[in-house]
Amino acid sequence: MRSEVREALIAKLTALADDEVILAHRNSEWVGHGPILEEDIALANIVQDELGHATLWYGLRQQLDGSDPDQLAFFRDANEYRCCELVELPKGDWAFTMLRQYLFDLYEALWLEAARHSTYQPLADAVQKIIREERFHLQHTQAWVERLGQGTEESNRRLQQALEMQWSYAQQLFVPIPGEELLVAEGIVPDLAPIKERWLEHSTRHLQAAGLKLPINPGYQPTSRAYHTEHLWSLLAEMQSTARWDAEAKVW
Amino acid sequence: MDTQWPRWEVFKQDTPHKPHQAVGSVHAVDPEHALLTARNVFARRPQAVSLWVARAEDVYAWTQEEILEGLATARADAGLGTACRYLVFRKTSHKRSMTFVDHVGEVEATSPEEALQQAQARFSDTTALAWWIVPADKVYQSDPSPETVESWFAPARDKTYKQQQYYATVGSHISKHKRGRGVEDEE
Amino acid sequence: MPIKYGVPSDPDYNERLREFEARIARGEKIEPGDWMPEEYRRQLIRMISQHAHSEVVGMLPEGAWITRAPTLKRKMILVAKVQDEAGHGQYLYHAAETLGISREAMLEALLSGKAKYSSIFNYPTLTWADIGTIGWLVDGAAIKNQTMLAACSYGPYSRAMVRICAEETFHHKQGKEMVLLYAKGTPKQRQMAQDAINRWWWPALMMMGPHDKDSPNTEILVRWGIKTKTNDQVRQEFINEHAPEILEAGLTIPDPELRYDEATGNWIHGPINWDEFWQVVGGNGPMNKERLEARRRAHAEGAWVREALEAYAAKKQKTAVAV
Ligand SMILES: [Fe+2]
Ligand SMILES: [Fe+2]
Ligand SMILES: [Fe+2]
Repeated sequence: MRSEVREALIAKLTALADDEVILAHRNSEWVGHGPILEEDIALANIVQDELGHATLWYGLRQQLDGSDPDQLAFFRDANEYRCCELVELPKGDWAFTMLRQYLFDLYEALWLEAARHSTYQPLADAVQKIIREERFHLQHTQAWVERLGQGTEESNRRLQQALEMQWSYAQQLFVPIPGEELLVAEGIVPDLAPIKERWLEHSTRHLQAAGLKLPINPGYQPTSRAYHTEHLWSLLAEMQSTARWDAEAKVW
Repeated sequence: MDTQWPRWEVFKQDTPHKPHQAVGSVHAVDPEHALLTARNVFARRPQAVSLWVARAEDVYAWTQEEILEGLATARADAGLGTACRYLVFRKTSHKRSMTFVDHVGEVEATSPEEALQQAQARFSDTTALAWWIVPADKVYQSDPSPETVESWFAPARDKTYKQQQYYATVGSHISKHKRGRGVEDEE
Repeated sequence: MPIKYGVPSDPDYNERLREFEARIARGEKIEPGDWMPEEYRRQLIRMISQHAHSEVVGMLPEGAWITRAPTLKRKMILVAKVQDEAGHGQYLYHAAETLGISREAMLEALLSGKAKYSSIFNYPTLTWADIGTIGWLVDGAAIKNQTMLAACSYGPYSRAMVRICAEETFHHKQGKEMVLLYAKGTPKQRQMAQDAINRWWWPALMMMGPHDKDSPNTEILVRWGIKTKTNDQVRQEFINEHAPEILEAGLTIPDPELRYDEATGNWIHGPINWDEFWQVVGGNGPMNKERLEARRRAHAEGAWVREALEAYAAKKQKTAVAV
């Protein structure tokens, strides 16, 4: 693999993993505090899956540059993280959490579908594993969006509010990272443009069927993954507090 | 008033040739939601290939004791209506187990009580300690397509970190400290 | 279905009670729908719902560390464990529901402060090592109790326990693995592990409940096959397993009187501070108020969600594929 391609792939894998880590972290804040016991169990399930996906992506990076996944997750500062801003936003209410997970799951499922035939075999193999879980997530969060959208006036209002907030943030999922075009040219990762089209089509159809109002006035749309919300710093301060507490510790 | 949503009985099938078994219940609002929830609650670990759910109120249950007391027929307001299919579940052992009744087959009858009588006649190979009779059209199943089975049930096999075998190295071992507090064994 | 709960004033009570006790003696399981003394049902509802509440409240002390777990693997493990505890609460509420009490009623009793749950969860988790220690000692103590209850006479409770025990073994082992690792780790890790053992040892011993002589329910529970061992027996089993293992790990146990008794093969412990136990049971533990408040908040904030789904279901006749 040419070194520019390798560098780009490392960056892409990092972005994929960082999204999963931060989203899982936000959702994990719910565990024990969900609206009903069954949903505590369901969300904890998604959290474990997303952490598993992060581990797989970091693992692929490790094969390329030997970096340790836990070092990456627990010893990088906010400015070194490459997650999108959508996943950093505080967990909000149940509508906010379910909608974000739905928008993300739909993107992830479509991306994985397109990445199945990656020319980079380790990535194609990881996709095969992850895609199974994402199909289930999507069924689950899709069902929630439908139910909240068509539930009560209050649930519809809360979901609409979440949508107004998240819609433009979600568009960042389809902004290529620097160097991504090299990966696309080599067939290592899929082109984001057609995925975005499918995502817009699916999500618009489903959200409207759920009784939500679209389109949303485009507001701020984050573009660079080197830039973050003001929440990431404190999220990481908490997340990394144990790992960084003992400088001598080799294993946890 | 608060509600915890209606209760659904859950039946899990471990492998394709085993019967569906009653494993417990979940609270959910509709069949699709109940199935999704059942998957999260009862298939966190292997094994499963299929789930059925039915509203708790659609399950007709009798224990051996109730049948001996004639309660199953006493409640028969039957004979009316057209015949429909009923799924039959049966418990046959007092042994320790995680499951209650197993699916044994189905019968056609005009009432649950009649279905029970038929079931008793048809599935008479061994003593039944309890019966569940559920109208077939009140039972909802998880999608049997290979893609869904793979998506719902296969990933649990890879989650080895929540299986105790993963921690085999920390099994109980015979202590060297039996002799007293903090005293090393010289042997 | 009509559920028959016998009371001593029933004309056939004594005869039925004899049959009922004979069934238990033969190792038969009592199933929902079977005749049972009202007192058997009452004791079961009390025990099972308390047990369910304990699982649910038990999510909180450990859940607080999910966001601070030090590795991706530990975070996954902890989420899986706390998820299991929710699952256990779920299995147990189900078992209680078979006795004709609704989950709403049980939750109402918990949130109003009427119902009890295991006092162990009214202690705070102060460091990450508490997570390992809870798995090892608290789940270890719970397993002893639950293994006994897996053999209990009421079918649904027994089945819930068999399922729970299978999962608890994972909790116990992941906790033990962690503490053993830190006991051999850096000075700070060792110190943290020791500090956690020091704080959790005594509360873990109290988990089995008061001494037999102060446990008024024990006799009837044993007679009806709900419990098959006394509190002190279960406590002794727990100490016999865990004391030597903690010492073997190079850690100490905060009980200067603890000693191994050759004659009986038991580890003999010093006096338990029952004043502390009753204080915490009585609502004055360090975390009683916070735990209950967290449950109440989650319940109240979830109300609109539960309503929304009900409203949805009422509107829709969703069709799934019938078998
Ligand atoms: Fe994912
Ligand atoms: Fe538990
Ligand atoms: Fe546990």
